[in-house]
Amino acid sequence: MSESFVNEPLADGVGVARAHHFESVAQQREAATLGIWAWLITELLLFSALFLVALITRIQHPEATVAAARHLKFWIGATNTVVLICSSLTMSMAIEFSRMGWQRAMVRAMLATAALGALFLVLKGYEYYADWSEHMMPFLADRPFELAETPAARLFVNLYYVATVLHAVHLFTGIALLLGMTWMAAKAGFLSRHQNWIEVYGLYWHFIDLVWILAFPILYVVNRAT
Amino acid sequence: MTPDHAAIQFWPVAASVKAVETDELILAFTVLTLALTVPVFIAITWFALRYREGSEADRSPSGIRSNLIEISWMLIPFLLTLIFFAWGAQLFVQSRNAPPDAMVVEAVGRQWMWKFQHATGQSEINDLHLPIGQPIKMRIISQDVIHALYLPAVRMQVAALPDRYTEMWFKADKVGTFHLYCSEYCGTDHSVMGGKVTFMNPGDYQDWLVHAGAQQGKVAAGRVLYQAYGCAGCHEPGSPVGAPGFAGLYGSKVQLADGRTVTADDGWLRDKILNPNGDKLAGGGKQVMPSFAGRIPEDDLGRIIDFIKAYPGTGQSAEATR
Amino acid sequence: MSASGTVEGAAHREPHSPEATIGRKPDYLHAESTLRSWFLATDHKRIAILYLVSITGFFVIGALAAGVVRLALVVPNGAIMSNDTYNKAFTIHGVVMVWFFLIPSIPATFGNFLIPLMIGAKDLAFPKLNLTSWYVFMAGALFTLVSVVLGGVDTGWTFYAPLSTAFSNTWVLPALIGVTIVGFSSILTGLNFVVTIHTMRAPGMTWFKLPIFVWTHYATSLIFLLATPVITTALILLIAERAFHVGVFDPAFGGDPVLFQHLFWFYSHPAVYIMVLPGMGVISEIVPAFARKKLFGYRFVAYASIGLASVTFFVWGHHMFINGQSDLASLVFSSLSFAVAVPSAVKVYNWTATIHKGSLRLDTPMLYAMGYIGLFVLGGLTGLYLATLAINQHVHATYFVVAHFHYIMVGGTVLAFLGGLHFWWPKFTGRMYSEPWGRVSALLIFLGFNVTFFPQFILGYLGMPRRYATYPPEFQLLNVLSSAGATILAAGYIFPMLYLVYSLWFGRKAPANPWDAKGLEWETSSPPPTLNFVSPPEVPRIPYDYPIQATESKDQHR
Repeated sequence: MSESFVNEPLADGVGVARAHHFESVAQQREAATLGIWAWLITELLLFSALFLVALITRIQHPEATVAAARHLKFWIGATNTVVLICSSLTMSMAIEFSRMGWQRAMVRAMLATAALGALFLVLKGYEYYADWSEHMMPFLADRPFELAETPAARLFVNLYYVATVLHAVHLFTGIALLLGMTWMAAKAGFLSRHQNWIEVYGLYWHFIDLVWILAFPILYVVNRAT
Repeated sequence: MTPDHAAIQFWPVAASVKAVETDELILAFTVLTLALTVPVFIAITWFALRYREGSEADRSPSGIRSNLIEISWMLIPFLLTLIFFAWGAQLFVQSRNAPPDAMVVEAVGRQWMWKFQHATGQSEINDLHLPIGQPIKMRIISQDVIHALYLPAVRMQVAALPDRYTEMWFKADKVGTFHLYCSEYCGTDHSVMGGKVTFMNPGDYQDWLVHAGAQQGKVAAGRVLYQAYGCAGCHEPGSPVGAPGFAGLYGSKVQLADGRTVTADDGWLRDKILNPNGDKLAGGGKQVMPSFAGRIPEDDLGRIIDFIKAYPGTGQSAEATR
Repeated sequence: MSASGTVEGAAHREPHSPEATIGRKPDYLHAESTLRSWFLATDHKRIAILYLVSITGFFVIGALAAGVVRLALVVPNGAIMSNDTYNKAFTIHGVVMVWFFLIPSIPATFGNFLIPLMIGAKDLAFPKLNLTSWYVFMAGALFTLVSVVLGGVDTGWTFYAPLSTAFSNTWVLPALIGVTIVGFSSILTGLNFVVTIHTMRAPGMTWFKLPIFVWTHYATSLIFLLATPVITTALILLIAERAFHVGVFDPAFGGDPVLFQHLFWFYSHPAVYIMVLPGMGVISEIVPAFARKKLFGYRFVAYASIGLASVTFFVWGHHMFINGQSDLASLVFSSLSFAVAVPSAVKVYNWTATIHKGSLRLDTPMLYAMGYIGLFVLGGLTGLYLATLAINQHVHATYFVVAHFHYIMVGGTVLAFLGGLHFWWPKFTGRMYSEPWGRVSALLIFLGFNVTFFPQFILGYLGMPRRYATYPPEFQLLNVLSSAGATILAAGYIFPMLYLVYSLWFGRKAPANPWDAKGLEWETSSPPPTLNFVSPPEVPRIPYDYPIQATESKDQHR
């Protein structure tokens, strides 16, 4: 098992400094990779439970769900999907640069990733604003809900907010971590001590992307069909 | 009308065939439990004495193949317990499929009372009168949180859900009065949300439907509501709030603060409950009663007024209407 | 491999760090003594002590709440306190005991302290994460305590909707947030254990040389990782429901309140095994050590741990037999629940077989272990009663259920916790406690426990519903008996708190291996040095290498 984790070809001067409680660098890298995978499985289950509830809602109240889903901004969702896929691409580039020891290119790729993540949040924010102006925020007491005559529509719309806000929180945390790490990664000697941070973080970023790729069809696409 | 239970009990009364069968099932299961556990307890105690440090016991290996032992003590108890799964499942399936001739009684749970409606229209609160020898199907729903209707005498309980009907059926075969509970925790007065189920001979039941069910039932129901909506907390004599009592109120002349005099009839009482701020009483204290408009359904309002009508004379408490 | 034990095997094995008096580095307790060195500790042993102190605090809070509950039930008519006070007391008891004591009890303290020692590692894989998880735990605890101090919660620890979302007027929100946060602490601890057990084992420490304690913690950690996120989602939805009326569980908006129960029990049934499995690990260490005999059927016990952790994900529906679940689902869940008995039975019979032809010492940890076996068997089998559909229709949500899960939680987990605490106390602190006091307390707890909870089985079958502030007078005798037992139990809990604390200053200094037990944790000094081992420990050829070996070792270690 450990072989697969340490086999990545690394350039000279790129690597990991051993922490005191590990016996070897290989052990340390293996632990970090296994740790992030375990975390991602947990996170995936967190979102899966939510998506499951959304699907149950759709099965129980198909018409109301379709009516509510039609108010979602399909094109913003679709654009955001593309934005996040691009950000995964730049993150993969950052990982590849880190392995080759190209520190400056890596830092730029990381900044590009953070910028694309921020763009996603801006688009998402605009989408929320559009929802607000269309009276599609049923949890606001002072703005009567557009689809008040179908109570179950409210259910789906609220679930949409819970799921997308939870995803946005993950993305926001991700961007903050990424910027912090970029700041450290710009310093000399980073790649010789903490190269695996980039790899581990890359997995987390891909995961955020994956959650959106699951959320987009479940919330926006499946329910548009009549 | 206290339930027919001994002061100290060690086995619950069984008032249906299902109850007897459930008792047989659990007793048989207990026999198996003892067969599986007593040897372990005896063995542990015996080993602890026999093989204590320093004793002259034979500690040579017994030479038994362990995989065989492991598999046998995994499978034999499991297969034995499966008998009880099958037995319990069979009783369960029976208890879930009501016979077609079952008499339907509606049960509505809400914080913190049970309302029952008989097929012939009579309704009662927290009390339930039913005939024996006749399958009864309770159709259960809740108006607020999740409750559960529990009748230990027939060994049955089913949740009352707020969004759909659940069903429970049984055929009582023993005359008597037994406990009726809410068994799903439902808030502050969960433990008070219960009453009595009375199983009667079919003739007595018909009699009850005609007489008591129609008349006494309303006042008794009103008394429960009087407690449940919190009226008693202020209006009962001796309460710290000192709200006006109901003794002799119905039909009497009431002096108002603006000098008018009104008769306390059904309509006036109803208005006063729904809008306490209107018609301020002469010489009354500060008006603190909240409005009950929209909080008490019309049928309950009628029962409360029936109860006020029947309220006993000065010096007696609400209990005297029993 | 020798078939039978030889007497020389019992000879005291020299620890790898002999107790040299000069030039010895201070142990982990004395390495540094500032407050900062405790609150920013990354040493797994110090974090374990932080947990031990905090969960003991929660145990006291939960036990006091239980005392209030038992006090109220001395009289049937609720004359001692209002229904509201009673409801808050049992809710606080449940919330604190389940989420803040039982779930972290053995894993976060003993697991934290012992897993690296047992596998021959210097620390857990992620020491800073370990400290973070303690802070997350305390943050969750803070929210819950705020809710208790402000006036309490009255929903029961299960937080069923719509009572908790739309009807309760108490401080539900901070309690919910607290419980949600604590879930993350569990996830981080579980993650750390899984990675540590996978990657940090000393050379030669193969999977089938791991102590059962490590196996059960591995199984527990998998449950932490796979079940906790589901309840986190359920609780997030519940919080959103209470704060913003999201409606998922509220029938007023087309939501489904039973859906919450499904999500809740999908976690909370496996959570039972979060509480039970580590206890089984503790017992599997104590029994061989005090029988001087190799654990019977090591591989079966190891597989049974993983088996329990797997089956437990498929039985959650047995909490909903009467809740409008389809009959077919009930039949399936009922039959699967019977399957849980198989791996449980494996463990009980194997412990008993380990005692057979051993050389027994009935010291305090062993007394707890024997009590555990008896009570766990009763708790487990009454669980099968509850899984039997027709019986469940009668005793669901009665005191029968209360008695059943207290036999598992208190008779099982708490006894295992106390047994383990006494067993490893010399290792944790370097001090020996008073053995006579230990034995007296163990017997007192066993007696008090049975007097408290056995009457509740009868009460339940008689039909007394749980969570009742008032009850019909014919149940008073048994309730008074139960409350009387609770006072004996309380006394049994107070003694260990006193003599264990006393031993910290006045106890005899403990040798590296006071019980002459096997396992790498006994190969280092008591208390261990900061990096656990002075020289890399030698992994024994088989686990539980006790002097008396049964023939079955041939089958087990070919």
